[in-house]
Amino acid sequence: MDIIRADRLTIGYGGEVVLRDLSFAVPAGLITVVLGISGSGKSTLLKSLAGLLPPLGGRYEFSGAPVDYGSERSLQSLYSRIGVLYQGGALLNGLSLYENVALPVRMHYPEIPENMVRDMVHAGLAQVELAGSADKYPAELSGGMRKRGALARALVLDPDIVFCDEPSSGLDPITSSLLDDLLIRLKETFGMTLVVVTHELRSIERVADRVLVLNDGGLRFDGDAAALAASDDGFIRTFFLRKGDHDDA
Amino acid sequence: MSEAGAIPKAERTIVLPKRLRAAEVAALLGEIHGRQGGLALDFREVEEFDSATLALLGHAAQDLPGVTVVNVPEALVRAGAGFAKSPSDLWPARPAVPATGTRAGRFVRALADRFLARTRVAASFLSMLADEAYHVGVYLKTRKGVYPGEIGNQMFFMGYGSYPIVCVLLFLVGVTISFAASDPLQSFGASTYIADIIGYAMLRELVPLMAGVILAGKIGAAITAELASMTVLEEVDALKTMGVVPERFLMVPRLAAITAVVPLLVGLADVCGIAGGMVVSGIKYGTMPKEFLDQMVNTVAWDDFAWGLVKTIVFGWTIVISAGYKGLTVGRSAEEVGRATTESVVLSITLVIVIDCLFAFVLY
Repeated sequence: MDIIRADRLTIGYGGEVVLRDLSFAVPAGLITVVLGISGSGKSTLLKSLAGLLPPLGGRYEFSGAPVDYGSERSLQSLYSRIGVLYQGGALLNGLSLYENVALPVRMHYPEIPENMVRDMVHAGLAQVELAGSADKYPAELSGGMRKRGALARALVLDPDIVFCDEPSSGLDPITSSLLDDLLIRLKETFGMTLVVVTHELRSIERVADRVLVLNDGGLRFDGDAAALAASDDGFIRTFFLRKGDHDDA
Repeated sequence: MSEAGAIPKAERTIVLPKRLRAAEVAALLGEIHGRQGGLALDFREVEEFDSATLALLGHAAQDLPGVTVVNVPEALVRAGAGFAKSPSDLWPARPAVPATGTRAGRFVRALADRFLARTRVAASFLSMLADEAYHVGVYLKTRKGVYPGEIGNQMFFMGYGSYPIVCVLLFLVGVTISFAASDPLQSFGASTYIADIIGYAMLRELVPLMAGVILAGKIGAAITAELASMTVLEEVDALKTMGVVPERFLMVPRLAAITAVVPLLVGLADVCGIAGGMVVSGIKYGTMPKEFLDQMVNTVAWDDFAWGLVKTIVFGWTIVISAGYKGLTVGRSAEEVGRATTESVVLSITLVIVIDCLFAFVLY
């Protein structure tokens, strides 16, 4: 079953087209990696799928229902079913890690008593191995801890899908690898669907079930990881082999 | 580029040094520009070079008539192969848009474009004003959408940070106004009316206006900087995707806090301003505090205090909404945070003075 279906989606800013006529699907329970060189529109696509950037054209369906960007009700329905891990974490600096993770629970379900909120937050933090850092503020956390904290916040209300914007960026290979492990565990243990934007080859090889490759404002490849590895497309081979011998990237 | 040894029409040859980097190139350019007649630059000894050397090679070939380069080492030729020779290589010229219409027509059109752009900004600001009224209403009805304890945090930040400076400045304003008014009043034999003037001016005009200006600089700037940073760091986007309405979550506590903080602020500022006037009156005319206050209460009434309070609350809301508008509509770069903060202070102070003027039409 596909959780996301995009049909001829055109995305851009203020009338300037960044991505044109994208048609693809994101299957449930798998990790779909969105791949492309810097500036190819990966984060822009993620923003649009997360309901932050209305597309200039096309149709976007989430769980079988079309998303209407002009309707607050439709967007709130989308937001209630997604979690987003931003590039820098985007934890609120004025709140402790505990309060950051508790925020979605407190805002959406103020009737849940504080002792239950505490249990939910601690379970979330334990899941990302940050149980001992609940009282720290974002400024006191390392880059990797901030990202894991942000992931705990994105997961605390058990969303249907989590969008991850460059989870490995700015992290050392070991921390990056631990974060990849975490994403794989979420998929395998909880059957969670993830859309991961990245250009880290190591991450792609480890986590990707399906891959979307963006290039030149369009979709260059849409398929599984094995098909990507076997692709004879010049751009894709260049991307993986890091050779500058293609002529149209 | 000339071949080794062939130096056509050059009257002089400069053999360039082994190290030819930016510093040496800069010195050489002075010599090139001051030359008379043809000049050959001999690169045969150059071993250490950088981008300035490559730029010199490109410019000598294109922009320096009468200058030739000779004996360019192979390493330099290879390095220069991918080097942009002119700005147009880096920034290709965009096709020129042909100017249409008369000069006057274009001027009017440019003015209209600017007017429309300003109108759009004003409409967007007014739309935020209406949105905030709606969000305050929703919060009062549902008590949802605001983080628990945030109103208290904002009250502490606004009050603790503002009371001391407002009190000190208003005391000094009271002192200054009292000194300024004393001589003219004395010349009319009306020195006893100093208390009336200080009381009336402080309660109705000076405290609200000065408090508005100080709040714009202190609280308005802080709110814009904080919200703009949150926007740049994607924290506002994160709130949206958590299903939290940022305009309610971030703005309602600040509007509630300013409403709660202003009455005490106005009360303290009134006391300090009047005390400043009383001190000067005591020093210059030997007026006792009781005498000063008795004289003042003959003129000023409770509604003077009430109007001053109402005005300051309206100024406070104006400042918070202006600051929030600038903070939440900032672009995506750190540079824009500073710009938005400055614009927020200018917008707030302008609106405070305009609204004060509108109050004057109603009150007097």
